[in-house]
Amino acid sequence: MTITALPITAHPAVEGGLQLEVTNISPQTESIVSITLADPSGARLPSYVPGSHLVVQYGSGVNAYSLTGSGNGPTEYTISVLRVEDGAGGSVAMHQLGVGDRVYVSRPRSAFAPASTATHHLLIAAGIGITPVLSHARAAADRGTTSSLIYVYRPGAGAHVEEARDLLGPALTECSDRNSFQKVLAEQLMTQSLGTHLYVCGPVAFMDAVLDQARELGWPPARLHSEAFGAAELDDGEPFTVNLVRSGLKLDVPSGASLLETLEKAGKTIPNMCRKGICGECVLPVLRGTPQHRDLYLTDQEKAENTTMMCCVSRSEDPELELDL
Amino acid sequence: MCSASMPPAAGTGLEPGFRGVICASFGATGDTAGQHTGVQPRHDLRFKAANPEALSELRSVLERSHVGVRLVLAGPPADIRAAAAAAAECGLQQEELTLLSDETAPRVIYCPHCHATTTTVRPAGSEVQCRGCATSLATTDHFSRRMGAYLGYSAHAEEAS
Repeated sequence: MTITALPITAHPAVEGGLQLEVTNISPQTESIVSITLADPSGARLPSYVPGSHLVVQYGSGVNAYSLTGSGNGPTEYTISVLRVEDGAGGSVAMHQLGVGDRVYVSRPRSAFAPASTATHHLLIAAGIGITPVLSHARAAADRGTTSSLIYVYRPGAGAHVEEARDLLGPALTECSDRNSFQKVLAEQLMTQSLGTHLYVCGPVAFMDAVLDQARELGWPPARLHSEAFGAAELDDGEPFTVNLVRSGLKLDVPSGASLLETLEKAGKTIPNMCRKGICGECVLPVLRGTPQHRDLYLTDQEKAENTTMMCCVSRSEDPELELDL
Repeated sequence: MCSASMPPAAGTGLEPGFRGVICASFGATGDTAGQHTGVQPRHDLRFKAANPEALSELRSVLERSHVGVRLVLAGPPADIRAAAAAAAECGLQQEELTLLSDETAPRVIYCPHCHATTTTVRPAGSEVQCRGCATSLATTDHFSRRMGAYLGYSAHAEEAS
């Protein structure tokens, strides 16, 4: 057992969250480990919407990981973490956790919820993208809704394969190469009843390909749900100044610090969740200047309008940006 | 629950797994014949009104269709709104639906007191007597897609008796 001391201060993304203890570590594959967290007193944890994620603090950084359970009255939270050697260090730190270690985590956050009117869920996952989709499959089974899953993984590198087989039986299609996946996907996209919604999680290029093909086959956006992960690492960016018109404040945002961090340091409370440009929570109104949009949340049209920006990742094209704050 | 394995009902001539455009018209004014639906396969349905038989046939057609299908509804608002509500129950999304509405036809007013619906040709803001409970209903522009009707409310509820 390794004793990792809790960081002295909680990261803003996990503030108001929970302090949990690692109760189980179970390797899924050579590079993926499942980590189970529970309240040290054994208390029940907050329920969550299927497809939710948890923000976990490591050192001074935070990472978001999908919860794999159904979310219904949980006594423990389980996440699965893929070790990324050249990442920011979060996944490597997670892999060093041992039973008994304590971690700061956020409350579960929902950004990939099932459609309440769906009568069937078509789930599509690639690699570690299985995690939120497994949560959907479990919740669907609990609620008596049907689901089917297409799971793409490299032979020997698939996490949660046995659980998916037990849960879905013949409704699971496993694919290990692009051609067989394309064939299964096209066939499934053309044979779904009208109550079906589609959920996809995996690398961005994989999700784009699935969503493009679905749209080509007549699937409207309301039926398509996707969970972005592995948002590309962003560069430090150029320094700029923000003029907070209503507060009468001018702040310098240095290279390497986000606008959100700068505002928080100045005592502003900005609602936020993922801090990665995915969830859309930290949207701010822009009065003047052109934001450098680096988020995955705003539509192309919204970005072109330049009236809003996601302050967690986006910066400024101009030396100064005027905000309605 | 929409099932793909259901055998085709006699007479509708729609093959299971249809993913083209379904055009349903209601009454004398509803006509989708002139509607261009592109190169996609097309299936036409004609109904006198959105009565239970018509809605049940529409449901059975939708239950044999697959995601990718589009529905065009033409006719008086009362009929196409009732059909749209039935289609939504089958899982059809708003974006998959086109309404061609004959705005001169009667509107349906929902009574929140007895849940009955009453048709009227009077404009929003006027009063109509509920055919269920005889309450004098003020009509509004507040429309429910699920009910396929406009909300009415007791017209003189706040006046001192």
